Amino acid sequence: MKPGFSRRRILGNLAGTLGAIATFAVAKKAKAAVQKVLVTSDAPKGYDPHQHQWLMAIDVDRCIGCGHCVEACKRENHVPEEPWYFRTWIERYVITKPAPGSAQSRGEVFVFSPNGGMRKPGEGQPKEPPVDLPPKEEVQHSFFVPKLCNLCHHSPCAQVCPVGATFDAPDGTVLVDPKYCIGCGFCIQACPYGCRFLNPITKTAEKCTLCYHRITRGLKPACVEVCPTQARIFGDMKQAAPDDPIRQFFQNHRVQCLKPHLGTEPRVLYAGLDKEVR
Amino acid sequence: MRPFRMPPQILRLVLLTVGIVTSYLIARFFLTPASFGELGWFRANALMEIASAKPVYAGKKACDECHSEEYQKLSQAEHKSLSCEACHGPGAEHADNPDIHKMTILTFSHCVRCHEADPSRPKWHKQINPKTHYPGQVCTECHVPHQPNEVP
Repeated sequence: MKPGFSRRRILGNLAGTLGAIATFAVAKKAKAAVQKVLVTSDAPKGYDPHQHQWLMAIDVDRCIGCGHCVEACKRENHVPEEPWYFRTWIERYVITKPAPGSAQSRGEVFVFSPNGGMRKPGEGQPKEPPVDLPPKEEVQHSFFVPKLCNLCHHSPCAQVCPVGATFDAPDGTVLVDPKYCIGCGFCIQACPYGCRFLNPITKTAEKCTLCYHRITRGLKPACVEVCPTQARIFGDMKQAAPDDPIRQFFQNHRVQCLKPHLGTEPRVLYAGLDKEVR
Repeated sequence: MRPFRMPPQILRLVLLTVGIVTSYLIARFFLTPASFGELGWFRANALMEIASAKPVYAGKKACDECHSEEYQKLSQAEHKSLSCEACHGPGAEHADNPDIHKMTILTFSHCVRCHEADPSRPKWHKQINPKTHYPGQVCTECHVPHQPNEVP
């Protein structure tokens, strides 16, 4: 027998391998336990992301452009006050009449969103900046459109994230992991709906989370909660009863998403959308 | 016949490869965050970390616990679709501790925020021009906010 293949040596090697595997498993368990302690205990208990499929629908005909949703979103999610950081905002579309004699169905399209459509009530606060609206006689029609993260099935933002910090959660939300976001801004450029921004304080990408801390506690998102006309309808397609507002909405409205040609398949669906809205 | 011997250069190459692969596996084990890959190509713990933020708006049901009289009045009138916090401001703090009074008392600007005439607003929505609709008077002299169709 060759000296390299003695029984003692084989048994020794086997024991060493088993020992290494056992150490590996113990180390992994210890690491998981340590990281579990670090996870905050404020999180709602018993939430299973596989049991939900969140969805937002927006009835454009019901939006009165009051800006309650924008204000509530800013307060709820501590979005910076500057008028260019928004998780949700309202756009005012103004479409003018076509020039006399032209064969066009409509004239120019203007989109305004001063301070994200947020109107600040009360004294001592800055008023809505002046907007150069076209004169009333020239306007063909005009309406408000609330905008937010479109919660795409095929999110361009999650595709481009180099560190796996942005992802599609199993419950239909698209979230940003603030601990692993490196603030490179790829996702901000990738989002075709302009829904993301870089938080100037944390230097991480931020966006609408559908108020994840609220929906996991059984509350509605802040914008849906305060909307006075119920232009925003929110629901859980996996749990919704037939008389749930979200099911009722889809029974009574024909819906469309923004930029369908991009194939992002948004979960935010609009009723009463105009072709100029993008 | 000479017994087969591993050529030393091949042996060095094999050892080097094993060393590189082992150090990669060790580095991957320590650098991959826990719960990564449990739900997908991301840290599953991030979900509950994001969910652990504290709500600022309490929700209409929380108001009903103490202010059920106002809640009942509101839910039978024209303004029934309104959430209390739409006008009175965020109330989670007040709901957790009723001694904290930071809720907003309504003023003129709260009414016109929704009811000022605006060409972009849908036609079904009731709108007024504050310059011609009883200027200088307070809205609540003629309208009850919780029951807009009633006269005080």
